[in-house]
Amino acid sequence: MADELAVEVNDLAKRFGDKSAVDGISFEMKRSEVFGFLGPNGAGKTTTIKMLTTLLQPTSGRAAVLGHDVRTEGKKIRERIGVVQQQDSFDQGLRTEASMDIYGMVWDVPSGVRRRRTEELIERFAMQEFRKTGSLDLSAGQRRRLQVAREFVHDMDLLFLDEPTVGLDAIVRRNVLDYLKERVKQGLSIFFTTHILEEAEYLCDRIAVINQGKIIAIDTPQNLKRRFGTRKAVEFRLLEGTSEPLVQALKASGEVSDVSQDESGGYKVTTSKPESVIPEIYRAADRLGLSVSSIYIAETTLEDAFISLVNEKGAPR
Amino acid sequence: MNVYARLVYRNLRANLDRITVFFELIFPLFFIFIQGFGLGGIIPDFKVGNAILTYPQYLAAGAVTLTVINSGTNAGTQLWYDRKNGMFEQILMGPFTRAQYILSIILATLILGVVASSLVFLIAFPVLGTGLSVTPFGVLLIAVSVFLGTVFFGTFAIAISVALRSSETFQIVSTFAFFVFLFVSSVFYPASDAPGPIQLATFLNPLTYTTDVFRAGLFGGLTPFNFLELGVLAAESAAMFALSVYAFRRIRV
Repeated sequence: MADELAVEVNDLAKRFGDKSAVDGISFEMKRSEVFGFLGPNGAGKTTTIKMLTTLLQPTSGRAAVLGHDVRTEGKKIRERIGVVQQQDSFDQGLRTEASMDIYGMVWDVPSGVRRRRTEELIERFAMQEFRKTGSLDLSAGQRRRLQVAREFVHDMDLLFLDEPTVGLDAIVRRNVLDYLKERVKQGLSIFFTTHILEEAEYLCDRIAVINQGKIIAIDTPQNLKRRFGTRKAVEFRLLEGTSEPLVQALKASGEVSDVSQDESGGYKVTTSKPESVIPEIYRAADRLGLSVSSIYIAETTLEDAFISLVNEKGAPR
Repeated sequence: MNVYARLVYRNLRANLDRITVFFELIFPLFFIFIQGFGLGGIIPDFKVGNAILTYPQYLAAGAVTLTVINSGTNAGTQLWYDRKNGMFEQILMGPFTRAQYILSIILATLILGVVASSLVFLIAFPVLGTGLSVTPFGVLLIAVSVFLGTVFFGTFAIAISVALRSSETFQIVSTFAFFVFLFVSSVFYPASDAPGPIQLATFLNPLTYTTDVFRAGLFGGLTPFNFLELGVLAAESAAMFALSVYAFRRIRV
């Protein structure tokens, strides 16, 4: 059973003085799984990653990565993992291409393999235009792309990604996520943190939510949405455009939490009971002599579930 | 490839600023060719150990050992670049130990120290060459003194780079320390002829021992005192090495 686990954590804790950063968390991550680790700022995500990558010693508890204890078998773990940190990391004296090559050399990747992989990654991550540019002259997004691509020059079984897409535009971000999916199909396991919840939903098999150092839920994205996405939205449009009296009428309803209007004139009604609110919208529109041109129930997003979960089980620090 | 070779190569390629290294090489040459000849006309030849030297010769030998301090400062800069650019943690999350990482910086510094000293020595050769009296044993002692001096100043720079919170502060503190080590040493004047308090401070300074042994090895003026100096230099380098390892282990990531 242990051989099937990429990460196994039992009652893991880390304290800095009298401040508890991670407070007795336990979870398991399977091999070839993308495991999302979500939480508000300061929740303990990066501290957990630093313990699992053996950069920090836990204060108490136990953790094993790829079957090796983080306290006593650090080097064995580090030989088989890759890490893309939340912060920038780059060699300031090197150009993009040389950065990738020397990073691979440091990992003892044979030169022929390094050259081949560097070429493949430069093409895959669309880095041709800055392959000869020095690290200090790269934009934040280009540097981030290099940082992610560089990690794939060496072999690994498990990749830790700590907010890897910060600063990337939507197209590059999707490109990176698709590449990660391909690598997972080839057997790579990924431990993934992000604040962009659409990414987590797109990529992760399971998600753990951590808040104030404690894990408050672990489940699949679908189940998290079902369990915690209590607030739904009904979106509708009027033939007549907009109507402030209708908004006021809906806001007065006990079933409606909020009514908002988007730039194109569409309305979004937040409620926990959309099936009751839809007839009410029609009735209110009738009373005001208005006509509803379109109406539908919007799907609950992971973000809705996440906000609801974090607010319900403890406000962010 | 060996793990140290890989890390040292990376340190030299990724963290070595070519312009800085160029000016570090130029710096001692000003002392040799400007100060040495400028003061040479008013300072008569004098005895150092068993050798009689002109002031330009005396100063040229000392200026070559300046590269030892310069190289040491590079060790701190390498560590600061890695910390500032996020590569310090990145490397430590790779298949290396902290000891391997810190030793790779010291080894890179040693390579820089030896190469830079040799280059300055070659350029200064017209000044030094007339009085040279080198034996194989003298060359060995020169090599040991440069090695120990580089280890001391390299690990000293690592220790202060760990202790300080910004690269700007590191630059200011290391420059200040550089001048203290430089002027309170036998680079510019014989320590034995200095006033008592300066003489005492000079004999606490590892640069004095590096310079004295280097100079004696070049001009054939080795005395038993030089061997004592080498012993003190070795002890100081070992102590600074231990201190820097201790400080490095306490770096918070």
